Amino acid sequence: MASATMDHMISLIVFIAAILIFIGLFSQPIQTAIVYESHRALSTKTSDLLDTILLNPGIPANWGQSNCTAQGFGLQDPEFTQYQLSPFSLMRLGSSTGNMVEYDKTSPSIYYNNASLGFGASLLTPNAQALNYSASLALLGINNTYGFQLTLTPDITVSITENHGSSPLDLSISATGTGFPFAGASINYCLILVTLPQTDAEYPFYTIQNGVVTTDQQGIANVTFPSVTDPVYAFIAYAHLDGVVGVGYFTHGSATDQYVVPIVQDMASQEVTLAHNYDLNNSGLAGFSLKYNATFVISTEDYTLSELSLGSPSSQGIVTSGVGNPYPSIPLPTCTTGILIVTYQQEGSTQGGVVMMPWGISSLAFPVTFGGNPVGQDWVATDIRQVIIGGIAYQAKLALWNQGVQVTG
Amino acid sequence: MIRTIEVLFVIIILAGAFIGASYFAVLPAPRQVSPINLNRLSLTTLQMLDSDYDLSRAAFETDNSTVLGQLQVALSASLPPNVIYNLTVYDVNDGGGQLYTSVANFSNAESLGTTSDVSMYTVASSNVTFNVTPEKIGEKSNGGTLYILNCSDANGWWITGYTAQSLAQDLYNLLSPYFVNTVMVQNTSQLAQILIGTPLHGENLQNAVVINTCGEAVPIPTTYCQALYSTDSYAYYSYFLGQRVNLYNWTWASIVGYPFYYVSNTVAFASGQNTWGIYGMQSTGQGGSRAFLEGVNNQSYVSNSNAITDSANRVVTFTQAAIDSCNYYGIYPSIYQTSTRALSNSTMSSYNLKVGFNVFNPSGDYLAGAVYNHVATGSTNITGSLLALGLTRTPDVRVTALSLLSYYQPRLYPSEYTASGTSRLVVLQLGLAGGS
Repeated sequence: MASATMDHMISLIVFIAAILIFIGLFSQPIQTAIVYESHRALSTKTSDLLDTILLNPGIPANWGQSNCTAQGFGLQDPEFTQYQLSPFSLMRLGSSTGNMVEYDKTSPSIYYNNASLGFGASLLTPNAQALNYSASLALLGINNTYGFQLTLTPDITVSITENHGSSPLDLSISATGTGFPFAGASINYCLILVTLPQTDAEYPFYTIQNGVVTTDQQGIANVTFPSVTDPVYAFIAYAHLDGVVGVGYFTHGSATDQYVVPIVQDMASQEVTLAHNYDLNNSGLAGFSLKYNATFVISTEDYTLSELSLGSPSSQGIVTSGVGNPYPSIPLPTCTTGILIVTYQQEGSTQGGVVMMPWGISSLAFPVTFGGNPVGQDWVATDIRQVIIGGIAYQAKLALWNQGVQVTG
Repeated sequence: MIRTIEVLFVIIILAGAFIGASYFAVLPAPRQVSPINLNRLSLTTLQMLDSDYDLSRAAFETDNSTVLGQLQVALSASLPPNVIYNLTVYDVNDGGGQLYTSVANFSNAESLGTTSDVSMYTVASSNVTFNVTPEKIGEKSNGGTLYILNCSDANGWWITGYTAQSLAQDLYNLLSPYFVNTVMVQNTSQLAQILIGTPLHGENLQNAVVINTCGEAVPIPTTYCQALYSTDSYAYYSYFLGQRVNLYNWTWASIVGYPFYYVSNTVAFASGQNTWGIYGMQSTGQGGSRAFLEGVNNQSYVSNSNAITDSANRVVTFTQAAIDSCNYYGIYPSIYQTSTRALSNSTMSSYNLKVGFNVFNPSGDYLAGAVYNHVATGSTNITGSLLALGLTRTPDVRVTALSLLSYYQPRLYPSEYTASGTSRLVVLQLGLAGGS
């Protein structure tokens, strides 16, 4: 009797211990499988969400060219189908990388999103009209469930370096794809050569020289301008081959401590204010003046620049730093993409330069980063598409992660 | 002891199950857990390469190594460095045997690894013209004739800036592909012939469409410029026309303004004018339309000069169905039009006329443009129709064409897309470099 009881107790203890051990063992692959399924679902969601963003223009369809609040989030160009994005809707996205810039000339504490890429080309858009990240999450119906970051990067990086600054001006153009040199590509270039007048009554102006070269096996081409001496210039290069188009630029001026900065005031009326850089973030003294001359150019089918009349008396004038001093505003003439070119000159000096502002994010191949920060997230799924923005080839990359409920392995 | 042994057996079974499950439940590689959608990446890459039709050109120049080399550079430059590819161009054959024949291929790797996906993209030769064959209106329902009143001996009104003949030619170009027979009625004598039921060229008279290009005026044959038909300033002639429309189940199209407001014959009314200096014309007035409607309704003639419109100035817009037809048939008049002779729907319904198709969105009781079908009381058959476009001068005949096409809805049959030598299939297979 005692032996049977002992047998019973020992077997029960061993059985319970074995069950507990095996529950622990089995739970490991089950938990891993759940995590796998979660990640798989996240990956599927990433692909779906990316198509949702890229294949619908949003509501209303022209929200990128208006002041209205978007009721639906989408970036497709309403005039096209498939993966062609609106260069203007992208301008209304609140940038998640650039610092905000304060410009108080009109009223205090007015901030602008800064998508500038160094000196010479800038894009400042009103933060009050920007679609911010949290609003886009709500419009996509994923607030509190997912976080995302959308990155749009030009397929072709066109970089220009100055081999020799003058007499002759010698420039090297490098075109590189995301995975390969852009060998044998045609480079259509536009040299915007600025003339700084000697008298105060005249305004700085420019002339354009166009040309075509071809890149070598390393994707590099050189251009020389023997007749250019002591140049103040901007240089824009379009690299294209078999439907893949990239654009790059370079500017050189004799005055870089004082310069003009175009600021988009209103997307709907396409009004642009020309600011003195001393007025940005109240970084300089008041009372410094710059003469300027503003023009708007569009890129034609053969990659030359064609000027459109601004039709505004403010296209030439003087901008002076300091609150209370006048600031010019220019309405841009068209809803098509283009480049605002502003030549400037310090008053009473022969120092000056040229700055550009793309109207439409693709005109100077500005990259876009919009959304949250994926760093530190548990698991981030990504997906990519090739898209066309204003004729320029971009790669759209969406990074997506779970928010709220986290499934960890 | 036996229970302990049994438990040991249980442990062995559980251990076996765990080992077996672990052996078969192999976790996938991270690349498979969260894969890049290579299918979509491939498709968007092909679309980008063809954005300026460069891919289409290259696909038809596969024996040109320079062109293929450029395509390879563009492909390599646009794809991420860790993506490998294999691009193949196929010729599409329409004969027997193999449907697709490979004509070119290049890749940047010997193997695409364990994970790859493809997209296919059909490109067309720039030498190819794709035809669209329209369905013929009435070819299956004992109809199919379009009469365009191109009467050389009649003048028009509210067609200022055009002649009836130029409008007739435009309508012919727009609509003749959709009809079995298109007959230009060259003079009022020919009009008299069809009014008595005699075909001009052996065409089918029944169920025809008659377009009056003279605007507010309607051509009148000399034989009808006499008593009885001249009753109430030729309102009775309009009544007679209405009877013919009912008898032959015609669709009468009035392209602009107030229908049947004048009658015109440059010989019979050589000295008469419409009070605006257009000779060869006789004013019937508002009673013309009423008389026509009485004729269509097959009722006795009663003199009635009450207006069928309120002559209010309205900006009207196409209905969604009309807009859809614009896209389908490729006819794009402005969706905004100005109407000053919109017809009262309640008035029309008193003549047993029901709206068959609304060209414009209604403005209260008034319709700026619609096809009205006459359905007699107690019947379900249509016996005569009227397309009345109460727009202000001058007419846009594209609206007339669009209205008729929207009403009859003939289908369009595109030609074969995969005809031999005209199409090539580009297949782009993408994989990821590195291990699995």
